[in-house]
Amino acid sequence: MEDVLDEIVSSEDLQKFEKVFHEQLHRGTVTHKAQFEYAWCLVRSKYPTDIRKGILLLKELFNSHPEGKRDYLFYLAIGNARIKEYNKALHYVKSFLEIEPANQQVLTLERQITKRMEKEGLIGIAHWALLMNALLGVHYLFAKKKQIKED
Amino acid sequence: MGVGKSCLLHQFTDKKFMADCPHTIGVEFGTRIIEVAGQKIKLQIWDTAGQERFRAVTRSYYRGAAGALMVYDITRRSTYNHLSSWLTDTRNLTNPSTVIFLIGNKSDLDAQRDVTYEEAKQFADENGLMFVEASAKTGQNVEEAFLETAKKIYQSIQDGRLDLNAAESGVQHKPASPGRPLAAPPAARDNCAC
Repeated sequence: MEDVLDEIVSSEDLQKFEKVFHEQLHRGTVTHKAQFEYAWCLVRSKYPTDIRKGILLLKELFNSHPEGKRDYLFYLAIGNARIKEYNKALHYVKSFLEIEPANQQVLTLERQITKRMEKEGLIGIAHWALLMNALLGVHYLFAKKKQIKED
Repeated sequence: MGVGKSCLLHQFTDKKFMADCPHTIGVEFGTRIIEVAGQKIKLQIWDTAGQERFRAVTRSYYRGAAGALMVYDITRRSTYNHLSSWLTDTRNLTNPSTVIFLIGNKSDLDAQRDVTYEEAKQFADENGLMFVEASAKTGQNVEEAFLETAKKIYQSIQDGRLDLNAAESGVQHKPASPGRPLAAPPAARDNCAC
């Protein structure tokens, strides 16, 4: 475990907060607290479907509960980064930094997201390079074969 | 304004004081490699938010901690008065072998003191906690608090009180290259009282 983006919620926790949320939903009123606690667990799940659900719940909170905006922005950034939606994640980070430009916790998160983008970008380039090499290799073999035939 | 948990962590990991420290969101994560009795130990430190709305979820971070640092602000009595409720959480959610360290932060603001050293020391003794007054601003006793916690955890392992094979000991042994054993990581949690 190296940073907050790697952290995985325990299944007991996810179930516990899911239960509270659903009970409230069933009764007709969900508190901000219950929705936030459930969303916070969802964005730390190992399953992208859970993370996406968490993001939806956080967006709802962001629009309905202005007092908690900084918390929702922070976890919207984490959720999006975890499903590799890095540009969206950085968008939320930027919105946060417009309000609190010197927030170390969020500046650290920004660095972690950019690091991942670079790492995965480089891996992407490496794959392309391998593929190009392979294609060039095949091309070379064909050229060689053709040359032998012509000779 | 908080009691200064994140500031203590930054002082310990980066040797810097963050003057304008906003409220932590959820949890923050810090690491530092230290040496205890010639062994390299990697400390993984979870800095949990102190605000009430995070408390239900941050409780799950106590589980499996080898150590816990509980912090109050010596200039605000209300933070000291909340200690027993944080201590109850810590005791209920950790192992009997978890080392609990009490820190009275902001010792540089002695003129504004609202809790005496003696009173807090007595509370710590009665509850079997290690105790120190520290200042994240000047750095006084910050290193000591974390290192003492780590030493105590290390002793518990040596004495056999802490079983490394137990699932929730909070400690992993990672043998490194021969001749350079590496014990890692007694997780300490930076808990709150605010």
